[in-house]
Amino acid sequence: MSRLLNIALSLAALGAVLTAGDITGKVAAGKGASVVYVEAVGGKTFPAPAAPLQMDQKSLLFQPHLLVAPVGATVEFLNSDKVQHNIFWPAINGNKKLGHNMGTWPTGEKRAFKFETPGIVPLLCNVHPEMSGYIIVTPTPYYAETDASGSFKISNVPDGAYTVTAWHEGYKNQSKPVTVAGQATVEFSLAK
Amino acid sequence: MSRPNEREVCVRTLLKALPVLIVPGLLLLVLPQRGSAIPAFSRQYATSCMTCHIAFPKLNDFGKAFKDAGFKFPKDDEDQIKVAPVMLGAEAQKQNFPNSVWPGSIPGMPPIGLRFNSFFQLTGANRNQFNPLTASGSLPQVIPGADFASGFFSIFTAGNFGSGIAFWVDDDISVSGSNGSGGLGDAYLKFVNVGRFLKLPTDSFSVRVGQFELDLPVTQARSYNLSPYDIYQQANIGAMNSMVSLQQNVANQFTFANAAKGVEISGGHQYGGYHYSVAVVDQNTSGVAQSSNASPYVPSPTGGASGGVGFGSSSPFKNVYGRLSYRFNLERDPESRHAVQAAGTTGPHDHTYLTFGSFYLYGKSLQQFLGANTAAGASTFLSAQEPYYRAGGDFNFNYRHFNMYGVYMYGRDQNLLPIDANGMLIPLPVAADGPIPVGFFKSVPARFDGGFIQADYMILPWIMAIGRWDGVNSTADRINGLALAAGTPFFGPLHSLRQRYTPGMQVLIHPNIKFSFEYQFRPQQSIMIEPDPKTNALVAVNPFRVNTALFGLEFVY
Repeated sequence: MSRLLNIALSLAALGAVLTAGDITGKVAAGKGASVVYVEAVGGKTFPAPAAPLQMDQKSLLFQPHLLVAPVGATVEFLNSDKVQHNIFWPAINGNKKLGHNMGTWPTGEKRAFKFETPGIVPLLCNVHPEMSGYIIVTPTPYYAETDASGSFKISNVPDGAYTVTAWHEGYKNQSKPVTVAGQATVEFSLAK
Repeated sequence: MSRPNEREVCVRTLLKALPVLIVPGLLLLVLPQRGSAIPAFSRQYATSCMTCHIAFPKLNDFGKAFKDAGFKFPKDDEDQIKVAPVMLGAEAQKQNFPNSVWPGSIPGMPPIGLRFNSFFQLTGANRNQFNPLTASGSLPQVIPGADFASGFFSIFTAGNFGSGIAFWVDDDISVSGSNGSGGLGDAYLKFVNVGRFLKLPTDSFSVRVGQFELDLPVTQARSYNLSPYDIYQQANIGAMNSMVSLQQNVANQFTFANAAKGVEISGGHQYGGYHYSVAVVDQNTSGVAQSSNASPYVPSPTGGASGGVGFGSSSPFKNVYGRLSYRFNLERDPESRHAVQAAGTTGPHDHTYLTFGSFYLYGKSLQQFLGANTAAGASTFLSAQEPYYRAGGDFNFNYRHFNMYGVYMYGRDQNLLPIDANGMLIPLPVAADGPIPVGFFKSVPARFDGGFIQADYMILPWIMAIGRWDGVNSTADRINGLALAAGTPFFGPLHSLRQRYTPGMQVLIHPNIKFSFEYQFRPQQSIMIEPDPKTNALVAVNPFRVNTALFGLEFVY
């Protein structure tokens, strides 16, 4: 009986894959990586990643400079420097009510934060004003970072109609409708 | 007669509210002011000025630790530096020592910072009140109501050569818009933590050699204020006015504001716990710069004449200066208390602390007179070394955005008056045809005391409000101001106590661009002293306030 159930579930999964596709394209923006993600799909929720993501502070830099985290993900903030650091974000997507200060913790320790609201989280350190990092909290698990040429590929997106948004540091976001039916292509040209 | 319009009333009200006189502004340009932030460190570490400064050049706790460590990050400096230093010899050369030169390093880019500032001042309605003192037949200088002035263009360089050897050089290239009229500020090498060779506790013994500001409780050379601390500018000039019976043969030009040349040992930390320093430095009681000492009978300092042994001090005795302080960081958590910066719920910040300190300087001021001829007819001269000392105490309290500190100082110079062969005092100045000095007599010492208290409050991370009181109590200064003709000190104090109240504001436009404002209240100053026609007592005629409103704009890069 359980064998039959396994076969049925496998076929169902295979069917799901067969009805999913990729979103590919290119983002024209400045230097560095852009992030492209699928906006929220009405009424649909996604499980949060099981493992926490990592954001470090090392050599007076946020490392990585850019971190993409699906909504619900937990990010662990580390301090690998021998100097004291702080992490705070004044707002999420410009909403100052969502600003938060993580405080101070010693070298080698870490603090975690669960991001429940999608949006752009600009990370700052109130000791070293030049330090800057970003966490892009995406509303869906369908996202990708561009490569050096600006190209991206979001895999395994179920067929359907979506809104896809491109973000790049210092540029205005741009959103475009995309219909996925096997394959879809979308191009972005971001402006400051 | 027409009524003044609203605009005219506003202007007049402003001028009344901001009465200013030009001399403090001129003093500001003349006196050494070398506030220095180091943009080169920003470049090397790719970090903001705010990492080390509150409002440059005021240091935060991390900046103090950075300086203590010899212009390095206190820990893991090599991980933080973004421009790799150039190695002057491979690290492995150390294993070959003494058969090779001990390797060092130089900064990967020339660690040069530049600074420029300019000023604007408003002058009150009484600005030309001293014109009557102008000598008959000459035109008085007219002081405008508002004036612009260029300040300093300075260059400074600092860093670390490896092995804990730090360096600092700063120089004012241009002053008051005049090319090359500035001078060398501090220029030294500091051998940090050399006590490690003697198995002493870490950072308990460092050595600094060169020209440097003494380890003052509050720095004047790197002050962030527009105006100097008055007590640091105070030379001890004894009462020499022949109108007054008290005479003092003291003309000691030494002030704490000037850099000293010598060697200093120090230890401890400025960001917590003890800190001490002991320095042995040249005298400069004559006020004559070393380069100006052009006697053909002595070698020149640079070796241009007579062998280049060097000569410049105005006394064979060397000043000895010492300072001891202890800073109590007041956080309850021991780990936070002993860290470079305190931990907090919203991030690291300067400690809440209370510092107590004391300082003491001892020197001897050289006095010389032509004495009686010898039996062979050769002229002789009399020499005496007048002992003097400066002693004081200080405190510094910080609570988050509020910082208050103060310094009290007492100065005393022994007063050795020349006497003739009969043991009688010889009136000063000694006249060529008067009695010949044969010795000295200890008379009433020349004393002064005073200090300052300053409070800073960071309204926002880029706006700092300042309030300061300066006071200098010197009877001799007042007596010397008693004159009846031209030459009366314009700012001769009406009372022995000379005071100044200075509220101000500093605004960081950028981390490296600062706008400053100070309004300096100076209670009564004398314009002229005359004998009262009835009592014949000396009274001040037409005393007035000497107030200054000063605006400054400076940038470093």
